[in-house]
Amino acid sequence: MNPLLEVILNQGLLFDALGVIGLGLLGMAAVRLARRNQSWGGTMMAVGAIALLLARFYLMLAPHFVDDDLLYSIGPIGASLTIALPPLLLSMGFAGIVWGLWGHERRLRDENR
Amino acid sequence: MNYISFLALDSHEAVRPVFLMVLGVVLTILTWRLARTSGVWTARFLVAGALLLGFGYAVMMPLFEAGVIERYVPGAQGQRGAATALAWHVVKIVVMNTGWLLFGTGIAMHAKSLDAPASRPCTQSPNLTHP
Repeated sequence: MNPLLEVILNQGLLFDALGVIGLGLLGMAAVRLARRNQSWGGTMMAVGAIALLLARFYLMLAPHFVDDDLLYSIGPIGASLTIALPPLLLSMGFAGIVWGLWGHERRLRDENR
Repeated sequence: MNYISFLALDSHEAVRPVFLMVLGVVLTILTWRLARTSGVWTARFLVAGALLLGFGYAVMMPLFEAGVIERYVPGAQGQRGAATALAWHVVKIVVMNTGWLLFGTGIAMHAKSLDAPASRPCTQSPNLTHP
């Protein structure tokens, strides 16, 4: 197999780290925007970035510790939460970032007007 | 049992791809409008990241969810179209992570998080586009 393909497939942590660094930068910049411009858009973007980071960490860690014993011990509600929560966090995190970007962009246009 | 069905609403097979498609398109448009008022390299990072994310969320993820693109299963023997599934898997990893990296860097440059703090009095004229 192509060595580049092998690196991408086997060293998945490398590319996950790129995404996590990007999301961390996004969250820090969003907090800074929220403090500097007093806009709620920055706060919303930071919340969205945190939700995406949480879901990413769960998806990376889940294969290592989620098994039948754990699912049995947390009961049916907990088990359904492990299924429902990661897609919810991924979708709502992305939605938070887009919504915050919209609010921030509108705020900038109002200031420049 | 109501809250469980409410939580399962988002993982419903039809709602989530449409939601992601709308969000991806909106993200691309908003970033385009934000980049028009930014500096050259900030705009390049923002637009590159938003285009990658827009492609990933609006085109590729719904195709994955719809089953048009087969999911890559590591170690599966005799999978039909294994090379295609592998290629799309690699494209997904690269596009999503590079997209977030570029977009996050662009937003950080937009918020001036990456600028070094001024160690001496600034002699240039103040930047009027970002008061």
